[in-house]
Amino acid sequence: MESFISAGLIGLALGAQYALLALGFTLIFGILGVVNFAHGGFYLLGGYTAYVCVSWFGMPYPVAVVLAALATAVLGYLFELLLLERVSDDHLSTLILTLGLYLVMCTGVVVVFGADAPLFQFPVDGVLRFAGVHLPLANLIVFAVCFTAIGLTYALIYRTNFGRSLRALSEDRPVAVALGIRARLMFPLAFALATGLAGMTGALVTPILSLTPHVGDPVLAASFLVVILGGLGSLGGATIAAFLVGLVEAYAAVYLGGSKGALMLFVLVLIVLLVRPTGLMGVPTRGA
Amino acid sequence: MKRSLIGLAAAYALFALPGTAAAACEIKLGATGPLSGAATQWGLAIKGAADYVAAEVNAKGGVKVGDEACQVRVIAIDAKYTAEGAAAAANNFVSQGVKFVLGPMGSPEVTGMKPIATRNKILMMSDSYARDAIGPRWPLTFHMGPGPAAWGDPIVKLAKETFDIKTAVTIAPNDQAGTDVAEVAAEVYEKNGIPTKLEYYQRGTTNFAPIVTRILATNPDAVDTVSSPPGDAGIIVKQLRQAGFQGVIGRLGGPGTAEIARIAGGLDVLRDFYWFEPVFIDENVRKLQDDYRNLLKTEPPENNFFYLFVAGGQALVQAIEKAGTYEDADKVAEALRTLDVVDPNLGEGKWIGQATYKINQELSLPFGIGMIRDGVQQPEVRVEAPVDY
Repeated sequence: MESFISAGLIGLALGAQYALLALGFTLIFGILGVVNFAHGGFYLLGGYTAYVCVSWFGMPYPVAVVLAALATAVLGYLFELLLLERVSDDHLSTLILTLGLYLVMCTGVVVVFGADAPLFQFPVDGVLRFAGVHLPLANLIVFAVCFTAIGLTYALIYRTNFGRSLRALSEDRPVAVALGIRARLMFPLAFALATGLAGMTGALVTPILSLTPHVGDPVLAASFLVVILGGLGSLGGATIAAFLVGLVEAYAAVYLGGSKGALMLFVLVLIVLLVRPTGLMGVPTRGA
Repeated sequence: MKRSLIGLAAAYALFALPGTAAAACEIKLGATGPLSGAATQWGLAIKGAADYVAAEVNAKGGVKVGDEACQVRVIAIDAKYTAEGAAAAANNFVSQGVKFVLGPMGSPEVTGMKPIATRNKILMMSDSYARDAIGPRWPLTFHMGPGPAAWGDPIVKLAKETFDIKTAVTIAPNDQAGTDVAEVAAEVYEKNGIPTKLEYYQRGTTNFAPIVTRILATNPDAVDTVSSPPGDAGIIVKQLRQAGFQGVIGRLGGPGTAEIARIAGGLDVLRDFYWFEPVFIDENVRKLQDDYRNLLKTEPPENNFFYLFVAGGQALVQAIEKAGTYEDADKVAEALRTLDVVDPNLGEGKWIGQATYKINQELSLPFGIGMIRDGVQQPEVRVEAPVDY
């Protein structure tokens, strides 16, 4: 029973992290039509920015997380404005451009920080124990922050004019532009929001796991898995899929082992895509 | 016209000078291993060893091959700890005319590189605990360190006695690099009367909390991270301790204690820990660190595989000089097999492997057993070079 409850808690924590990553990933696809291969890179930079703030400048960790989110958002804004905007309608160019950016980020981190993992620990290290179940406080805090950030992102997208504009662009770009929404202003902001979320997740998660120059690789894979399962471009689908993936991953690993657990995830995606080729909440075509 | 002819003659004369020919002699020394990802430390150790061996030889005037004195140039390529990465690295070496390689590291890399290296006559000084790491089919593949079947027994005996281990679990990646070592390590535990359960994970896993929960359900006395890369092992240790695991953590696999401790959160988190140290670190070995700093003006690699590959690289240089060729890898391999294994820093060793691999191409040197008790690092225990097993 303890294992069952532990697996559930781990699954929810994983789901919250995946959701935060997938929201940004699917947001960029939904609005710009770009599959951002550099998404893991912004997660990586978020982790290293927080590390630099804490270890080099002695800043409090919460400030470091905020700065990491801001720094990656600014970088994402500039990247979209200066480079991606020029080729955003050419899928092959955006693919190569984002992939290239990711390689530059990884190599840059290796050059500056070296290939070894630096010492970067979460400031809270207690463990909550109840009824034979353990829950590291760090995970609990990260879960709470992720959950709050997901809520704020939803509020931003569904309750503000900024969010309505983004959704309008996502639904039908020519009509949205004809109605006066300035795509050239909104696209970099949307990209900044997505990369800021990735950077914040990196700053939150890397101290409880590890920080290495290639920590972005599995992030990209997980984001892909979640958004494909949820339906590319769908925020609701990404959120549901993220928690589904987290829970399946946790329960399958606990009860079937690490190898079969990983296999189960892909079996799940396969079944969902066979039944619903557009994912859980995806739509057949993008309007943008 | 007359001037041109004189110039041409002078140019020919210059090229004909023995000194000019000697200056053109260069040996390209390949260095490959995981230079990215969770096992980066091992690749950096190989690259550092190649850089050191090249700098040491070049400072002495180069490798003496017949009448020539060849400078050594290192070409380092990331094999990414995958078979395809190593195969790509091998093809890259072929295209650059490399005949001698330090590395690769780990079963996937060695498996990926062996066929291409053998076909193209490249001599590899590799390290892998795979069941078919070397063999008569791969005469140019040498092995830098025996596997856990050779050195595991004294480590498990000492750990059992020190920590009173009654049951154990091994955790390793579910590919060849993981399964080959984990199975052998489990056999060593079983031989010592410790029932052992094997757990595997998908390479690329970053959060081990679910697997840790599964492991703790079996309530083992010891968890052995065998050949999981140091980056992964650090997270496993951290999450085991967070989950309340009070037992001892072992490592019958590649070294990386410093990296594991850094990721886990320090020696206090490791608390009780034992591991295989491929090289016994004493003053002689530490001297290599100073030599490295003096020659290369930078810090030596942190991982102790560095020393092992320096020994391998130095043996390779000796073999090239003995064979009198830097182009015929077969002749160099022949010379290498007949070299006495007496390393100035690591001590006396031997070529072994006949019993397991049907070929004596495994460099066996004295090794160490590392141990941390109650968060305090203990002096390393020296064990003489393992014999054929």
